[in-house]
Amino acid sequence: MKSILAVAVLTGLCAAAQAAPKNDGRPDGGTLNYSEFGRTATVDPITSNETISLRITELVFNGLVGIDEKQEIVPELAERWEISKDNRVFTFTLRKDVKWHPREGEEPRPFTADDVVFTWNIMTNPRTITPLKVRYEFIEKVQKTGDYTVVFTLKRPILNALAKFTFKIIPRHGPANSEYLTREDPFARNPIGTGPYMLKTITGDGEVVLLSNPDYFKGKAHIDKFIAKPFADQNIMAQALMFNAVDMIVLVNPRNLPEVQGDKRFVLQPYNALSYSFFGYNLRNPMLADRRVRQAIAEAINRQEMLSSFFNNQGTVISGPFAPGSWAYNLDVKPLPFSPDQARALLAEAGYKAGGDGILEKDGRKLALSLKVPIEKESEAVKRVVLAFQNYLKSVGVAINVEFKEWQAWKEDVFLEHNFDIMFASWVFDDSADISSLFHSAEIGDWKNNFGGYSNPEIDALIVESKLTLDYEKRRTINRKLHAILAEEQPYAFLWTLTNYSAYHRKVRRVQIHPYKFFSFADEWFIPTSEQK
Amino acid sequence: MKLSAILPVARVLRRELAVTALLLLGVSMVVFAVLYLAPGDPLNVLLEGQSPRAQTAAREAMGVPHTWYARYGAWLSKVLQGNFGNSVRTGLPVLPELARVGVNTLVLTLGSLFLTLLIAVPIAVHAAVNGDTPGNTAATVAAYVLSAVPVFWFGYIVVYVFIHQFGMFPLLSGTAAKQPHAWLYFLVPIFVLGTASGTLSELIRHLREELSRVLSEDYIRTARAKGAPVWRHAFKEGFLIPVTEIMSAKIPFLLGGAVIVEQVFNWPGMGRMAWQAAQDRDFPVIMGVALVAAAFVRTGNLLQRVIFTMVNPRASKQ
Repeated sequence: MKSILAVAVLTGLCAAAQAAPKNDGRPDGGTLNYSEFGRTATVDPITSNETISLRITELVFNGLVGIDEKQEIVPELAERWEISKDNRVFTFTLRKDVKWHPREGEEPRPFTADDVVFTWNIMTNPRTITPLKVRYEFIEKVQKTGDYTVVFTLKRPILNALAKFTFKIIPRHGPANSEYLTREDPFARNPIGTGPYMLKTITGDGEVVLLSNPDYFKGKAHIDKFIAKPFADQNIMAQALMFNAVDMIVLVNPRNLPEVQGDKRFVLQPYNALSYSFFGYNLRNPMLADRRVRQAIAEAINRQEMLSSFFNNQGTVISGPFAPGSWAYNLDVKPLPFSPDQARALLAEAGYKAGGDGILEKDGRKLALSLKVPIEKESEAVKRVVLAFQNYLKSVGVAINVEFKEWQAWKEDVFLEHNFDIMFASWVFDDSADISSLFHSAEIGDWKNNFGGYSNPEIDALIVESKLTLDYEKRRTINRKLHAILAEEQPYAFLWTLTNYSAYHRKVRRVQIHPYKFFSFADEWFIPTSEQK
Repeated sequence: MKLSAILPVARVLRRELAVTALLLLGVSMVVFAVLYLAPGDPLNVLLEGQSPRAQTAAREAMGVPHTWYARYGAWLSKVLQGNFGNSVRTGLPVLPELARVGVNTLVLTLGSLFLTLLIAVPIAVHAAVNGDTPGNTAATVAAYVLSAVPVFWFGYIVVYVFIHQFGMFPLLSGTAAKQPHAWLYFLVPIFVLGTASGTLSELIRHLREELSRVLSEDYIRTARAKGAPVWRHAFKEGFLIPVTEIMSAKIPFLLGGAVIVEQVFNWPGMGRMAWQAAQDRDFPVIMGVALVAAAFVRTGNLLQRVIFTMVNPRASKQ
């Protein structure tokens, strides 16, 4: 009896002391101005689909669970959970001390199980347009079993399901329309969450001001204010850092790296982006359906040289289909070597002979391929890669006709019409290391990700097996095997992963960066009192 | 002002406004057709990577009609009620957004026009009155060179000079206000667009030719012989008309240049909005920008017609 009373008193105390600082001996205060290349559209976690918004929602919202610096799952809005034996039923017990950011002139409202159910319902409503829907199809239903308990039932058990409960929870009293969420809802640009920062304003010019949430359940974040400043030009962005107009660049353009590196006022912090670039083949073309031709192309190009000359060597050459740095990547498989002689030999073996103009031929057909490249915001380095690719292949007798296409037109050519021989692109992954949509034969079709039409029963079987297993080690073994086979098969010429760099002023301390959400640990960052200005 | 002076202007205005309405309708049709035929769907930004079923549901939720004429009709009827729709990307209503950035573009373009006048007029007038002197030849050559320079390149050079010579950092919104000479930086984009957009050289050449021609006309010679003020007689035909002619003809080019200048200088104007919208296939925004830009160009022409009619009332009957 006594101990229960003690607990009750303690919780009472906690509630009273909500506005408490972190009490970790680090100073509060200061403002962090950071620059973004482009402007946000919406900043709610459901309709937004770009990295700029993702970073802001990371500051404003929380998930049921979070991921810590060591990539381990930690409690966030849920203080604990139980998983049924068949791995299908997840019961979350929620924290009782969490409050939603208050709206102007209102009292903050408490966070409850209703908000979780609400978030799930609005996310899955067919009229809500959200990139999240596909990722949460594995959940069958969500039920509230108490004010602070929610039960999720899965359609089938999946590996690492807990990590998927990092999706952000929004308040039931948030959106104006409680059925479904569109970008026109005021909530999309003026959201309230539970996170360490409260969104104050988005100016017409796209500047986003965020204030530290005094009631944050993990203790008030140290830095008082975050301001996201939009830039239309990356060079100007680097200059802005130099002139202290901003304190942080979330992603430094490789071209500006040396300049920032040479300046003692700033810290350059690398972070892994879980992405890689590649040349993808259209296997519907009989010439490219021959594996020897694909291998020859990979061996004819000097990937290390391209990486060094065009990207300041800020990256790693890769060998297979998983994002390097992810647990699924097989380090034992080495990238194919640069060997033009070997490439020529492979092409000769495939039956190609030199024609009159130095271009290889087989049965009267020239080995001439089209390469379609999308024009993106910063395409300068990409252009160089493409031209180098063309030259490398010319020297082994393969003609490449480069065609630069506007983004939408390129996507239609590649993903809908399949009207290309080779394409250039990059994939960005989340931490689930799932490549099934890229190489499974069921994913061949209009607007599907297996654009090259790669079909291999062995790969299909492995992918399915990998998805069904709940044993982490077993899955790792399967993925290593997948990696080895696809490295051999070369449905893509796998190129490299680039290292992302953030640059920030030394005054910002204890900076930890999450690979793609970026600000996950920003509540721990601080600026020493003497440098707060 | 006498009624006889107002009537011709009113006549011109009525005719020109009717033409403007038709023109805007035409512009909207052409832009719509281009957008419709261009690859990519306006909703692609939102629907990327989703199942066909989810896409259909989303389309229904957004109330997108199935046929192209129904889409255009729906857009047009809304516009006639003063509703330009909401941006696909940001969900914000288009009209207030356009008004906000339109003002910035207006400041930029009108400011640069004014600057062009400030530079071109003295050079041209001096050359027309005094013939070629080493001084005005040098000034003219300099102006021509400046006009030949591409706007984006000149923009970067100016930014560079400001940063490295004056140690001033170009940021318009927010931080710039806290710097001591921030207002100066506000003038830089205007300076760049005003000098390098190509209007400068054309204005000098046209004004000089026209003014010299008028100054050698018989009626000016007569006026001079009588001792009457030459300027008052030459002003309308030799100055006002050529200047307004070139100005109104150059507005489209200025708007084009503004797109680049806004990009380089982080100027939150219509050009940047149009650029972003084009990338996103943000159909309501593109249509809105096109209409406003067309209206802007048309207003320039209209003013020029009005001034011309005021100078020469007979022109209203043509």
